[in-house]
Formats: sequence, C-alpha cells, structure tokens
Amino acid sequence: MASVLLKDLTKTFKNVIAVNNMNLEIKDKEFLVLVGPSGCGKTTALRMVAGLEEATSGEIFISDRLVNDVSPKDRDIAMVFQNYALYPHMTVYDNMAFGLKLRKVPKDQIKSRVQDAANLLGLGELLERKPKQLSGGQRQRVALGRAIVREPKVFLMDEPLSNLDAKLRVQTRAELIKLHRRLGITTIYVTHDQVEAMTMGDRIVVMKDGLVQQVDSPMGLYNKPVNMFVAGFIGTPSMNFIDAKLVKTEGRYTVDAGSFKVMIPESKTGKDWDKYDGKAIVFGVRPEDIFDKAIAMVPPTVENTITALVDVIEPMGAIVTAYLTVGDHSLVATIDAETKMIEEKDMEFVLDMEKTHVFDKDTEQAIY
Amino acid sequence: MSEQKIMGNPKTKTKPFSWSSVPVHAILVVYAVIVIYPMVWLLSNCLKNSTEVFTNPWMPTLTPHWDNFPRAWNQISIGTCFVNSVFVTAVTMFFILLIGSMAAYALARFVFKGREVLQTTFIGGMMFPVFLGIVPLFLMLAKLNLLDNYVGLITVYVAYSLPFTIFVLTGFFRTLPHELAEAGMIDGCSQFTVFWRIMMPIAKPGLIAAGIFNFFGIWNEYPLALVIINRKELYTLPLGIASLVMQQQYETDWGALFASLVIVMIPSLIVYLFFQRQITEGLTAGALKG
Repeated sequence: MASVLLKDLTKTFKNVIAVNNMNLEIKDKEFLVLVGPSGCGKTTALRMVAGLEEATSGEIFISDRLVNDVSPKDRDIAMVFQNYALYPHMTVYDNMAFGLKLRKVPKDQIKSRVQDAANLLGLGELLERKPKQLSGGQRQRVALGRAIVREPKVFLMDEPLSNLDAKLRVQTRAELIKLHRRLGITTIYVTHDQVEAMTMGDRIVVMKDGLVQQVDSPMGLYNKPVNMFVAGFIGTPSMNFIDAKLVKTEGRYTVDAGSFKVMIPESKTGKDWDKYDGKAIVFGVRPEDIFDKAIAMVPPTVENTITALVDVIEPMGAIVTAYLTVGDHSLVATIDAETKMIEEKDMEFVLDMEKTHVFDKDTEQAIY
Repeated sequence: MSEQKIMGNPKTKTKPFSWSSVPVHAILVVYAVIVIYPMVWLLSNCLKNSTEVFTNPWMPTLTPHWDNFPRAWNQISIGTCFVNSVFVTAVTMFFILLIGSMAAYALARFVFKGREVLQTTFIGGMMFPVFLGIVPLFLMLAKLNLLDNYVGLITVYVAYSLPFTIFVLTGFFRTLPHELAEAGMIDGCSQFTVFWRIMMPIAKPGLIAAGIFNFFGIWNEYPLALVIINRKELYTLPLGIASLVMQQQYETDWGALFASLVIVMIPSLIVYLFFQRQITEGLTAGALKG
C-alpha cells in the first residue's frame, strides 16, 4: 500500500491562489478527509494528487515516488467523482472493466475481479445495465466498483456522496467506512460536509482560502480547534461566539460579556493568558455545552450560570434547539428534551466551562 | 431500452379539443401542404409520359409509366451519377466528421494559445459564401492539378463543410462533462483513447446531426461540382440532372426527368427518416449525465 506526501504544494489560477503552501503526510491505510467551504482548495489539492491539475510549485510523493510529472494513469490511483463520471455508453461491467482492459489485464482475471467487486458492492444483478438505467445510489456504487477493481495504491474521492439523498447518504457513509476497513487502501476524501468528515475520517484536514487550518483527529478538532474558523466549522449547530473582555482577578480569569460573566477554570488557563488581561477576546461555547439549570449535567455555580431569555424552542425529538438572548448576545443551545423551558421567559442556564474556548479577537487564534 | 422509450414519450394521451388551438393547427396544416404537395406532385408526375405531364399536370395518372425509372437510370446515365454521388458524399462525410470532430474536441476541451483566434477563423469560414471563392478556387485547383477529379472535389467539399461541422460539434463537446475525460485519464487512457473510446461514442447524436446537415449539403451540391468536374463519367447527380435538361433541349423527356428527381430524393428521405429517430433517441436518452 502507499503513503502520500505533499510538500509545499501550491496552485495558482491566474491571480487566485487555490492551494497555498500545503504540507501534509497521509499515512499508509489512512482515511484522510479534506473538508472546508466551497472554494477552499480541497478539490484542487485532490486533483493535483490525481494528476488532473498541475502543481504550480511544490512536490507530491506517492509511496516515496515523486509524481509531479507522472501522468494520472501511471500514478496508480483511482478516483470517484462527484457526478460519478460513469461512461454512459458502456454497461456496468464494461465501466468497471475498462481500466483493466486498457492495462491489458488477462480477460479471465478481469472477469473475476469485476465479479468480486460487484459482489462486494451488491451490483451482481446490474452488470449488464447501462448507467442511465441505474438509481443514484447504484451509480455511486458502480463508480466505487470501478475504483476498487483497479486495486490502486490510493483512492481519491471527490464528494462522492453529495448527489445522494439524505437517507442514502448516511447509509453509504457507513458502507464506505466498512469498505475502507476491509480493503485498507489509503484514501483521500474531499467533502464540504463536516458531519461526513467527522464520521469518516481517521484524520481531518480543515481548509480555508487555500490554507490548511488544522490537521487532527475528529475529536481533536472538536475539542481543541486552533482558531475560530475551525471551531465554527466543526459541530452542528456551530459554536456560539460572544465578544467579551478577559479580566484577571485574584489569579483567575473572568469572561466579561457585559450582560453576563463566567469564570474560566484554572485548569484551562496558561502562561499566554496574562497578555490578554483586560483585552477584548471572543468567547466560544458549543450549543451542546449549555444546559438547562434544572437538568444540568454539570453542577451549577455562580461562576458558570447565566440568565437568558428563551426566544424560540425547536423540538428535535431527543433534544430541543433553543435560541436564547442574553443582553446583546444571541446564543443557540441544544438541550435535553426533558427540559421544561418556556418560550419568552427568562431562565437560568449552566455552561460547561471546561469545554469553552477563548480566541484572540484580532488573529482569531485560540488562546491556550 | 423499452423502459427508456416509455420515459421518452410520457404524453401519449390525446388532449381534449379546444377552440384556441384551431388557428395554430390551421397554420400548421397550410404549412404542411406547402411542404408536402410538391413532393406528392413530383411523385405523381414521375409515372407520366411527357404528353401527360402537360395534359394532366395536377392529377395522378391512371396508366403509370414505370419504364421512366429504368430509362432515367440507364439511358441518361443517372445510375452512374448516383454511384458517383454516393462515393463522393460518403468519402467527404468520412473526412468531415473525422477531422471536424477532432478539431472540435480540441477546441472544446483544451485551453491553448491561439484557441480563440482559431475558433474565430473557423466561424469566419461559415460567413464566407461559396460563390465568392469559385474563381480563385478554380485557379488554385488548376495549378495543383486537382481539376476534374474527385480528390479536388472532395478536398473542396471537406474544406467548405468543416467550419459549420466544427461549430456544431464544439458546442456539443462542450456539453459533455469533463469528468468523463478525467475518469478515462485515470483509468489509463491517453488523450487520443479518451477521444476515441469515450467521447466519440457519447458524441454520436452530435455527429449524426452534423452528418445529416452535411449530407444534404453535399448530396445536392451543384455550383462547385459544376466548376470542378468536367468529365461526364465523373458527374454527380445534380450535374447529371442539369445536363439532362440541357441535352434534351426542345424535346425533354419529362417523365424520365421527374423519375431521376425521385431517385435523387430517395436517399435524402431515407437518411432523414432513419437518422432522425436516432437523433431524438440520442437526445432523450439522457446519455450525457453519467
């Protein structure tokens, strides 16, 4: 199998920098997800690995071989496209066998490999059909099958689930994870959907404006986002950001948001914090870390309790999403459905301060 | 396929009558008569002898002269002209579609220096009336020793048809998803294999459409053939029929003339009827969405 290494990889289109000095090592058998909003350069990065886009500068290694000048067909990769890109004039069998035929693989071997892949993906019955006679999910599986039969060193997937309906997407997501575990092929997966990224990736690369923001495990990103972008991008509903001031009193730090004050636990503060004393910061708290005081998972104290007006409650089943107002600040909270909250009433809420975040207001970087 | 056909024609029910559709249908009926009647008239006259053409021009004959056809075919060598026309049209179409599709594919798919200029030049070629080029073309072919042979005629036909063909096919290739080419490249294709094994089969509806237009143009082409071809044995159908009229001068064999016009018309009709179905099928099959 293979590792992939990107060194100082840059791609510019005329005056636009699509990928800016990207450095990344994808380990053998790893499932790496590139995630970010559209235009962040994730697909361009993937296409450079595929050889469909030429790097402006920097180097790409697949299994320690420099592949910058190697054509796509000789990179030993397979790619699944967003719109599947199945050859419409060929049957499912021919679609899957095409790459092997071009590589002059013996006929009986092609047959057995296509058959194996078809069985693995539940396509056995559909081999004689044309792509137009298949449903979206079936086409998606054929596209996967076409990649699998080649037995490549690296799988590249460009938003392969985005054309499926919500239910099928969740189902296929799980199937893809299973498939990866079974085949153990190094995979680079591009998506704009953070849920997909969180559920599928061994590691996730969050990108914005061509720059890698953070590379970490899903939980690493969730618990320790390095900046406001990552903090806001990972997690749904996204993190609440509140403009506030950091005030040090008796060796402890208080977040003063005007309409409420909460205290940061000592365990979270470090040396860097001193220079933010009295400065404007951004306080971040995830919706799921805000609790109704009556059923709070964390013990309520004066240091972590706020009073907020409940604007709207959206019941979601197991939880309710509550839109709160505290002075000038708006907050979103996801609260256990057992809550007795009432709309348009002031209620007390408890924040899990261990899980809150503080960011530099100017650089938007996390303060540790 | 059967499933596709059902999907392709979802509305087979008759619409309920409404007065508002009467004017539209009336116009369509008039238009249809204008288009169809000359053909019917031609068909009815091709079975009359010369006298009957004048004594009974509008009604079909009661005593059909089937011998008009063999006479047209043999005596005035429409047969030879027919074979010549088939040959010239087939070879020309082959080269037009081959060269045209390659050029169009390159223009549609690749960004290279001078692409815009090249494309504009091709489109410019479409604006250029054939007649303006006849004299210089004649002189050039004379110098190249290409007058009065098919190499000259076919070269000129191909050159004149390419701009339009490239124009149509470029637009068509642009609509094909570029991911198909990329998938091919990753699967192991060279640029040429992508073109030949993936894009060409998908482009079939476009090729057929361009082919049909060119077929009619070349099959019926007269002025260029008149200038370039001299020898009688090389005459194409339009030349043959024109010469038939001139030869006979004052005693025209009208029956044979109409019969030869029918002979000219039949291949066009067949091509149209046969390929029209293919075009519609190709376009409704949703072949473009992988």
